[in-house]
Amino acid sequence: MTFGLAAAKLTVLAAASLTGVLPQIDKAPRYSFAGSDQLAFQIQQGAPADVYAAASPKYPDQLYAQGLVFKPRVFATNELVLIIPRANDAGIHSVYDLRQSGVRLVIGAQGVPVGDYTRKALAALGLSSVLKNVVSEETDVKGVVAKVALGEADAGFVYRTDALAARRDVAAIKLPQQAQPTIAYELAVVRSTKHLKAARAFVTRVLGNPGRLALARAGFGLP
Amino acid sequence: MRFAFTALLALATTVALVFLALPLTALFLRVGPRELVSSLGGSTARDAILVSLKTNVIAEALIVAIGTPASYLLARRRFRGRSVVLTLVELPLVLPPAVGGIALLAAFGRTGLVGGRLHALGISLPFTQAAVVVAVMFVASPFYVRPAVAAFEAVDASVLDAARTLGAGPARVFARVALPLAAGGLGAGAAVAFARGLGEFGATIMFAGSLQGVTQTLPLAIYAEFERDFHVAIALGALLVVVSFAILLSIKLVPAWTRYALTSSFRSATSS
Repeated sequence: MTFGLAAAKLTVLAAASLTGVLPQIDKAPRYSFAGSDQLAFQIQQGAPADVYAAASPKYPDQLYAQGLVFKPRVFATNELVLIIPRANDAGIHSVYDLRQSGVRLVIGAQGVPVGDYTRKALAALGLSSVLKNVVSEETDVKGVVAKVALGEADAGFVYRTDALAARRDVAAIKLPQQAQPTIAYELAVVRSTKHLKAARAFVTRVLGNPGRLALARAGFGLP
Repeated sequence: MRFAFTALLALATTVALVFLALPLTALFLRVGPRELVSSLGGSTARDAILVSLKTNVIAEALIVAIGTPASYLLARRRFRGRSVVLTLVELPLVLPPAVGGIALLAAFGRTGLVGGRLHALGISLPFTQAAVVVAVMFVASPFYVRPAVAAFEAVDASVLDAARTLGAGPARVFARVALPLAAGGLGAGAAVAFARGLGEFGATIMFAGSLQGVTQTLPLAIYAEFERDFHVAIALGALLVVVSFAILLSIKLVPAWTRYALTSSFRSATSS
């Protein structure tokens, strides 16, 4: 339901990892940040939304195939990194140290993009056995960051941009290049939008210079 | 005029009923009964049911074991600061469970107030089933203690005095007189606390995390499955609705508890 002036306001559903950067690009819209999968579900259920920005091509492509959004465009890329608390009591210096028994690893749940990327990367490294050290499967990337930043977990897999945003509390460890999954962020205008022009303008802004500048500053890669 | 008023009451009741019952009914209509049962057969559902049962039974036992004597004291003694103590006991009722989760981490987390010391001794609570028990206890215990205090307050003081005059010691008065007389209210409170504990979500996911077969209770499994298999989420949700309904209904049907059925068991302890 929208009233009066608020009716002109754009509603953007965006992946949790975009929490910091999107309002810097455009602070006018109303943002709803959550797991990309949850947001896709909301759009399928007819939630009023104008733009959808996801942390993986999976859900935007799905919605596109269902005719719920216009053609998605890649606007940023990211990297998966391993984060550890600054104190690093568990003595973790590379992904291979995750094999030590007793390490408390936190990852994203299956079906959450960051969780799926994590499983893919571990499989590529032949490290799927470290999944036995997982103590919690979080429903979005911020949950992983919080548990490591608080020092409750010894390590977790998140996006580089999340590690950067939490650098006061966590240190990031790069993954070997061959294990790095391709992480592309896509955004699309929702077909049921009542503000098509404004929605298109928002997409243009994110893809254009203002967007590229802010995204690069936040640590995202650019397409 | 009288008729109009009755009609108004009936209308309000109908609106309230439809509002509360419609979403819950829709939950059952969304998935057929057969699919519902088959969705509950998967390993996620089974593990979540077992984790929920185990942690809630332990939490409930601890709540009753510690809460009963504590409520007896709070009901029978008048002391300075009693209102503050009663308010503290009630606080988790109104706090968002997420605040409870953060508070538990601040206290019992690895770098927490007490948790730091425990960690040095090799004991660590977060991510364990014990953490789920602690989270459930934190959130659910007021639902037991509040009606328990009220139940002990309702016990006629002259009866307790009579028992004492007849030579019973304080422990005997508690166990043989006060406890049986308050049993109805205690039972009703315990049932409500159990139902609330089964539904606990926020404090658990923050303090205990979510891992299938270890810390993933029914509500956490519903949240996780919502992203993976919507049908399992609905089936688990329906199961929780049925169980909660049965527990709350039992309070109204068990003869000894009926006097304390939900409305009256929520009566707050007098703070004077």
